[in-house]
Amino acid sequence: MTSYIARRVLIGVLLLLFMSVIFFALTRLTPGPPFTQGENPRTHQELIDKRIHALGLDRPWYEQYPAYLNALLHGSLGDSYQYKKPVSTLLVERVPNSVILLGTSLLISLGIAIPLGIFAATRQYSKVDMATSVISYVGISVPSFVLGIFLLIFGAIYLRKLTGNTFAFPLFGMHRGDDQSFLDLVVHMVLPVTSLAILTIAGFSRFMRSSMLEVLHQDYIRTARAKGLSGRVVNYKHALRNAILPIITLVALQIPQLVSGAIITEGIFSWPGMGLLAFQATVDRDYPVILAVVMLVAFLTVLFNLLADVSYAVVDPRIRY
Amino acid sequence: MAEKETPVPRSLLGGDTYTKAVAAEQELRMAHADEDLVTTEIPEGAELGFWKLAGLRFLRHRVATVSLAVLATIAVLAIFVPILQGNLYRDQDYRNGYGQPFLFHARQLTLPAGIAVTVPWTDHLLGTDDLGRDELARLIRGGRVSLEVGLLAMLGYLIIGGSLGAIAGYYRGFLDNLLMRFTDMIIAMPFILVVVAVTAALGGVTLQTLILVIAFTGWYEIGRLMRAQFLFLRESEFVQAARALGASDFRIIFRHILPNSLTPIIVSATLGVSGIILLEAALGFLGYSIPYPEPSWGNMLQGFEDKLLRDQNYLVVFPSLALVTTALCINLVGDGIRDALDPRQR
Repeated sequence: MTSYIARRVLIGVLLLLFMSVIFFALTRLTPGPPFTQGENPRTHQELIDKRIHALGLDRPWYEQYPAYLNALLHGSLGDSYQYKKPVSTLLVERVPNSVILLGTSLLISLGIAIPLGIFAATRQYSKVDMATSVISYVGISVPSFVLGIFLLIFGAIYLRKLTGNTFAFPLFGMHRGDDQSFLDLVVHMVLPVTSLAILTIAGFSRFMRSSMLEVLHQDYIRTARAKGLSGRVVNYKHALRNAILPIITLVALQIPQLVSGAIITEGIFSWPGMGLLAFQATVDRDYPVILAVVMLVAFLTVLFNLLADVSYAVVDPRIRY
Repeated sequence: MAEKETPVPRSLLGGDTYTKAVAAEQELRMAHADEDLVTTEIPEGAELGFWKLAGLRFLRHRVATVSLAVLATIAVLAIFVPILQGNLYRDQDYRNGYGQPFLFHARQLTLPAGIAVTVPWTDHLLGTDDLGRDELARLIRGGRVSLEVGLLAMLGYLIIGGSLGAIAGYYRGFLDNLLMRFTDMIIAMPFILVVVAVTAALGGVTLQTLILVIAFTGWYEIGRLMRAQFLFLRESEFVQAARALGASDFRIIFRHILPNSLTPIIVSATLGVSGIILLEAALGFLGYSIPYPEPSWGNMLQGFEDKLLRDQNYLVVFPSLALVTTALCINLVGDGIRDALDPRQR
């Protein structure tokens, strides 16, 4: 077990190193310098060249990379070109916003999808089951931006007309002006959370249903029924415990995504999270920010994959590494 | 399939009658011994091959059949209509921007016989967009882009993922490790950012680069599936038998394992096409798919805020509807194929 974990950690570190090389090269190989967008067109070319030279961006990427890696290993992510402040400060500002948004949506969708999946599985081919699969089909086929736009149309525009200009969900942002109250946050969260949750519910309920069905067809469940235990006890005590295990792993693997944010949904609702930050950074060619986000997400993914595999071995003594 | 004949219960005929009947049947059989009795005794269904049976099972799946018909219609429209329409999708008419959909006006038509009739007519069935371009023409042309990207990128997945997965699963060892680590890496990367960064590094998006970038970054799922199939099948008894008979690796891979590994690959590939179409649309929505004036369902939704604020919701509704319909139909067809190919797995 120890040697397995050591090997996995080693592979993970190598993987992250490799990824940093690839992304570093990718950003540097993009044609053109990074300060062409959003800069005053009357800025003297000399000034731009000076800045590029100061950052070392005029050298080939393989000469820049060691400096970047050195700084990274010393815990420095560099300064953002656009925001003109340390990337770490930027991450500290943005990560909580994404975690709030995606965490809420994850909790809500689990709260709905798990009972829905169980209900559909225990009453296979019933009307509820059919309805669940229809919902999950539609959910899988609707892209997040379409859902987001339609929620905006109905929740923000038509609702305002319906209520005669008195109430509508806000079109964008986390807070209205300087209002930092919790209630304001909740009102701003309704539409983006709904849009994220519907899609997650579709996937999770399908997964929960098939996981539960698989368990329900096993011999020990038949034995439990044959012993005369009530359906409720069999379903919820014997079957659920085993059926919910894969879901827990799935949720564990979703945690890195809480930090990485949702690019499209955050974009539509102008939610100041990590997804929007990463996308803006890509558009603006803010290299330190792009690299920081990608490496952070990669680090968390590798970490949680390892944790998931190890916890499997802990929970299930049959698995040996 | 023909129904099995239910044998007449013995008690009904009585002992004596029964033996007589058996004797009569024997006689009949002897008389027709020269005819190939063996084939005539096999029920009809078994004569059909695996694929024909699967096809029949698919057709019995009503939802999937209807979805396939809808998809076929979309495909035919997307392939042929743009040829007839020429440049209609990019012809701008500034004075008629935001033309409303389904607006009919009376139009005098002169029939060949010289009779004048008045018919309801519309120049732009689904209206025009902000620059006065025909929305229907753009929608149809956008469908062409979506289907092209979806199918060609999936072909790329199959070629790259299929071959690498097969080699990794069959030979295992170093290559297998490399493939799995690559997969880990891709999964650890934010996919949309990767596509955006790579296309930027390639210096702008064209249809070709988009397809190539998607194919080279997204093949891992097919690759993993193929690897799993090969890992499983290479240990199976029929492959061991083939190996014992001295079959070469090439023969084992292409004659024995590949045909048996296709079922999940076909299903996953079908469902994957809708995933690619949605991905392309998402990129278009973000402004990183093919550039204007070429329409795609994604980039038609770009700048949606402007359209919503001007109350021109139809410009948002039509592309969304096209996208969702196509994706839903592909998913339903994929599910129908799964049921048809593997009726046990439901």
